[in-house]
Amino acid sequence: MNKSRNTSRRVGTKASIAILITAAALMLLISGIQQINSRNQIRQDLERTAEMELVIKARDVSSSLEDVKLALRNHVWEFEQFLPYPDSLFAITRRIVEQNPNFGGCCIAMVPNYYPEKGRLFEPYTFRRGELIETVQLASEEHDYSMNPAFILSAENDSSFWSEPYHDEEDPRVTLITYTFPIYNDCGDLAAIVGIDLITEWISELMNANHMFPSSYNMLLSGEGNLISGPEDKPMDVEQVMMLINDTTIERTTTVSGNVTLFSFVDWEDHSKGSVFYYVPKSLSPWLIAVVNYDDEVFEPLMEMRWRNLLLTLAGLLILAFIIHRSAKNISKLQQANLEREHIESELNIARIIQMEMLPKGDEINIRDDCNIFGSLVPAKMVGGDLYDYFIRDEKLFFCIGDVSGKGIPAALVMSVTHTLFCSVSAHESNPARIMQALNETACQRNEQNMFVTMFIGVLDLPTGRLRYCNAGHDQPFIIGKETKQLDAKPHLPLGVMDNMIYTTQETVLQAGESLFLYTDGLTEAMNESHEQFGMKRVEKGLQDCNKNEAVVSKELIQILTNRVNGFVDGAEQSDDLTLLAIQYTPQAKPLILCETLTLINKVSEITKLNAFVKSATTALNMENELANRIKLAVEEAVTNIIDYAYPVDIEGTINVTIEADKGNIRFILTDSGAEFDPTGVSKADTTLTVDERPIGGLGVFLVRNLMDSINYERSNGKNVLRLEKKLL
Amino acid sequence: MNTVINEQDGKYIVSLEGELDTAHALEVEEAMKPLHEVSGKDITIDCSHLDYIASSGLRILLGLLKSAKANGNKVVLKSLNDEIKDVFKMTGFIDLFDIE
Repeated sequence: MNKSRNTSRRVGTKASIAILITAAALMLLISGIQQINSRNQIRQDLERTAEMELVIKARDVSSSLEDVKLALRNHVWEFEQFLPYPDSLFAITRRIVEQNPNFGGCCIAMVPNYYPEKGRLFEPYTFRRGELIETVQLASEEHDYSMNPAFILSAENDSSFWSEPYHDEEDPRVTLITYTFPIYNDCGDLAAIVGIDLITEWISELMNANHMFPSSYNMLLSGEGNLISGPEDKPMDVEQVMMLINDTTIERTTTVSGNVTLFSFVDWEDHSKGSVFYYVPKSLSPWLIAVVNYDDEVFEPLMEMRWRNLLLTLAGLLILAFIIHRSAKNISKLQQANLEREHIESELNIARIIQMEMLPKGDEINIRDDCNIFGSLVPAKMVGGDLYDYFIRDEKLFFCIGDVSGKGIPAALVMSVTHTLFCSVSAHESNPARIMQALNETACQRNEQNMFVTMFIGVLDLPTGRLRYCNAGHDQPFIIGKETKQLDAKPHLPLGVMDNMIYTTQETVLQAGESLFLYTDGLTEAMNESHEQFGMKRVEKGLQDCNKNEAVVSKELIQILTNRVNGFVDGAEQSDDLTLLAIQYTPQAKPLILCETLTLINKVSEITKLNAFVKSATTALNMENELANRIKLAVEEAVTNIIDYAYPVDIEGTINVTIEADKGNIRFILTDSGAEFDPTGVSKADTTLTVDERPIGGLGVFLVRNLMDSINYERSNGKNVLRLEKKLL
Repeated sequence: MNTVINEQDGKYIVSLEGELDTAHALEVEEAMKPLHEVSGKDITIDCSHLDYIASSGLRILLGLLKSAKANGNKVVLKSLNDEIKDVFKMTGFIDLFDIE
């Protein structure tokens, strides 16, 4: 047991560990796949968001620049209006700078020689110097704006355009771009180029007003790849990214929409990984707008998720381990319970077999011609509390049927004890009441469970058909003869109820062909699916139907009744043990070829007479000497017994010896009127004792039993009747 | 029924003749009574002419055997016929006596 328990526990532990490892591997695999999926998802989301960000920033910047252009246009008519008055142009430039805080400066560069009075070059210019705004005439031969590419370009193309970014001469930290546009006079000729120096700082502020991630930043590059705006605080990073964007050898891809180009990079300084998205928006062309993100921020939720997943996985594994541990325990308990149940079941099965084998088979009895008997017991559970038994001793059929209160094992145990006791008591006792008494005394002893047994005991004297019986609370049996009726059997109390209960024997005589039918309440109380009981009426009807035909032998009777009750129950679960027992009495009348009687008195000297009488009979029957001597010895022993014990000393009494013989048997019927004495109840002499142990005497009845085929005792009408019988063939 | 007791070669020889039934048991018992007293001599019971024995006869033989044993003597049964031997077997007496 213990060994198997340990083994199963070890197997359980191994299985648990295997399950845990598998579960852990699966969970890790799943979370790995999830990570990859999430990473791809985040990347796609990032591309979309970056694309959107770029579009929005581009729109913001371009709309801001449109505002600048619009503001300038409002001043164009002023310039045109005051073209004839060169000196007033100073005031206009100054007003423009004053009104627009984002403007670092404003100049109007006149077409050379436009105002002959002002010389070849004339350029009124207002600019900021710190908090101050100064207005000067900038042009000189050293500062020849006509040679300036912006001027030339604007002049030649007759259009406005943005310059490349440049640093302020006064304050190199300030980046400027200049927007130039042409002014025409009344005749429609180009008069001047107006330039507005735009401080890019506000563009930077606009660009980086908000970010996708805390470390993200946005950049605006000119068509030639120069920085127009970027974060002030990351000059190195900006420089790297600018270089990478301008480096055509860098491997890059485009987003799904194909509008935005992107590439990954490793930061020079801190080696962190990042990605750059950029595109050239139509509204800002040829300017390029870029967004820079760092992976550790982009994938931060993923990292967080990874840790969370890892924690969840661990927690899950712990819970799983706990569950497995518990289930393994339970499973092992369950297996144990199963094993034990199987064990109990197999033991119950053996118990059932033993119990069934305790029941008589009837084979030995049913070869006789004077009776036949058949019993059937179907327990409701594996083992049952019903019992029946029968056997023939000294030409008497002892039988009993009983029902222990309850069912199952407790009932079976009591049944077993009762059965055994019945056998041992009836081995030397032929009186049913006395047998019952003995059973009751035992049943009452130590009966703390208050188990009780209803029982019917009968003893049928086969030579005469006299039936003696005693009932202890059992259902009254039926006698099936000319009519079918219940036997009048005083109920008494069941066995085990009251230890001083007096049981009495009743008697009747069975006629040739009559049957006795005994049953337990499992028959009358057999229930069908609708909880209807088989009932006494159906039993009676069944027996009557059997009797209508010719008298049926016991086996058929039981089969008919069994079929009826099975048909009635129709598969409903059997609620109680079902026991049926039938006995048919069929004595055979045989013609006698010899019948003689001798009367003796109770003196040993009469033995000589007896022996002569027996001798004459055996001689008349041509019996062999050996057999004749055996018979003579048996009869002498039986008669000696009567002479010795039947009557009180010195009181004369008679003994009748009748010899009867039919073709097959010789019978001696010894009758005396002495004290009741049943020699068949005398226990067998022990022939194995030593000389010293061996008692003198006590061999008489023993010899009678051994020499004759059967002996039979009846006390009737105040007489002891002893029959000795021997087969002649 | 005859019971003859002889002393020969330091032994008692008892010859039983006839049928030892209950009616004759008392008589045989009386005849054998002296043998219960002797000591130092074994007893041989010659049954060659004993035709029949009832349990009352067996009682006499058992009684004799018990007293002889108590006196340190042996009891030998001689020439039992088959029927008597059967009775001896049946009753277990065959194991109690020395049978020749």
